[in-house]
Amino acid sequence: MAQAARLAAALAAALLLTAAPAGAAPEPDRRWQQLSAEQRTILAPLEAEWDRLEPVQRVKWIGVAKRYPKMTPVGQKRVQSNMKKWAKLTPAQRKQARENYRRISKVPPEQRGDLRQQWDEYQSLPPPKKPAPAK
Amino acid sequence: MNESQFALRVRQALNQGLHLDARVAARLRAAREQALAHQRPEAAAGLALASNALGRLGGARGLSLRVLLPLLVLAVAFATTYAWQQQQRAAELEELDAQLLSSDLPIDAYLDQGFAAWLKRRASQQP
Repeated sequence: MAQAARLAAALAAALLLTAAPAGAAPEPDRRWQQLSAEQRTILAPLEAEWDRLEPVQRVKWIGVAKRYPKMTPVGQKRVQSNMKKWAKLTPAQRKQARENYRRISKVPPEQRGDLRQQWDEYQSLPPPKKPAPAK
Repeated sequence: MNESQFALRVRQALNQGLHLDARVAARLRAAREQALAHQRPEAAAGLALASNALGRLGGARGLSLRVLLPLLVLAVAFATTYAWQQQQRAAELEELDAQLLSSDLPIDAYLDQGFAAWLKRRASQQP
């Protein structure tokens, strides 16, 4: 019986230990109608397709909406205008975009200059001068 | 006299019945009780040992406590760790997507196959 008590104590300790990091629970998945008024305003561009999104996607968007108030007004505007397009991408495209985002973010800001300007310049290059797609 | 012959003779004797006088019967009873008194603690210990061994080898009670409980702890630990990792990954993705969507560049720039490489090469040519 003493052994059983020790095992029960170990079980309780293990549960406490493993449950501790889960303290920051993720936002729950919600249908459009279940979202708060604030969430609906932020996520408005997604309204039409919201209920068709994957649960994982919805949870992620709810998380993005949670960060939204902390963004700069310019950042908020960009999120709004990018949201719809982003939600329509395939998982592979999203993966590719995240990959490129990481690569671009790694270039030191003093070397990469104004990104928007660089992008405009890149787009204006005549097609033959555009490098072949990176492998 | 070998063992089976002895057994035969004991059986015959028992079949005939014992006709002991009261004094012998009393002495036999006393001897038996003395022997039992010596025997009991040892026998009890033996039984406990047997039950222990049974428990260790998988008696229903021993199995549930000694094997299933640690397995349960392990399973719960694995499940929680897995769930936690998934959650971490989701949180990372959430952070990354929030940054990406609010960044300077339009999504097309991140979808372009050559832009990141072009930018990198250009940046490395900067003095």
